[in-house]
Amino acid sequence: MQEEKKLTEQESLALIASMISKAKNSYIESGIGPLSWGILITFCSLFAYFEYLLKWSINFDIWLLSLFALVPQIYYSWRSKKQRGFTAHEEIIMDYVWSTFAICMFLLSFYNNMVHPSHSIALTLILFGIPTFITGGIRNFKPMVIGGIICWLCSLGSLFVKSPNSLLLMALSSIAAWLVPGIILRRRYLKLKHV
Amino acid sequence: MFKELDPILHSQLRLAVMSLLIGVKEADFTFIREKTNATAGNLSVQVQKLKEAGYIDVVKQFKDNYPQTTCKITPKGIEAFEAYVQALQQYLKMGA
Repeated sequence: MQEEKKLTEQESLALIASMISKAKNSYIESGIGPLSWGILITFCSLFAYFEYLLKWSINFDIWLLSLFALVPQIYYSWRSKKQRGFTAHEEIIMDYVWSTFAICMFLLSFYNNMVHPSHSIALTLILFGIPTFITGGIRNFKPMVIGGIICWLCSLGSLFVKSPNSLLLMALSSIAAWLVPGIILRRRYLKLKHV
Repeated sequence: MFKELDPILHSQLRLAVMSLLIGVKEADFTFIREKTNATAGNLSVQVQKLKEAGYIDVVKQFKDNYPQTTCKITPKGIEAFEAYVQALQQYLKMGA
């Protein structure tokens, strides 16, 4: 690109549109985050369900896996930001939304352990739906918007089913909110990467 | 009465840099160079001109022992960019 080339009005507008589009297309979600969370939460929900159903225990709280999974996820997110070379406007909002979710989940786990509410999964699923719905809306990604709504419907549904079965609704929410959108994003990312 | 096009922005590389920066919160010098296909020398000079005009902020720092230059559009830069686009639209309407 030449340093001082004067442009016509049409050329200027075309250049502006092309650079804005380049900036926009530089941000491609790899899908690793939602995919790994989707797999993990689905696995934990189903594991807890069968543990309860088969009256069998491994003497380890399977939900602790979600805390261990946070470390590689934070590292991967930091590394991809560094490699990308820019920060998108909506990333700041996303960081706040998902940090709020992580803090609320942490507080909710304390609340559940102390109060032992009869419908703790309903509360958890309400929380699952919030960041998923916002992310889908801001990124204009319908599968996550639908995923968020499914979480809230499952939250309502969990009020009408007995305790271990609500874990199945949690697995369904996780599949709808993160696993399926994660697979779609991952496939899109790999396709664009090879173009 | 038509607004005069801002001479700082009415240049290919500077306009490309500003258009790129308007779409992101901040960007590395390397990222801007890749997207504009400019040489490092050219880009440095134009980035400096934008900085002197107060349209962008440039932060130079060391990250993992490598120098890193980050550019970010300023409120004055956003205002100038918007005025430039409005002026362009006026010219195009007149030409239509």
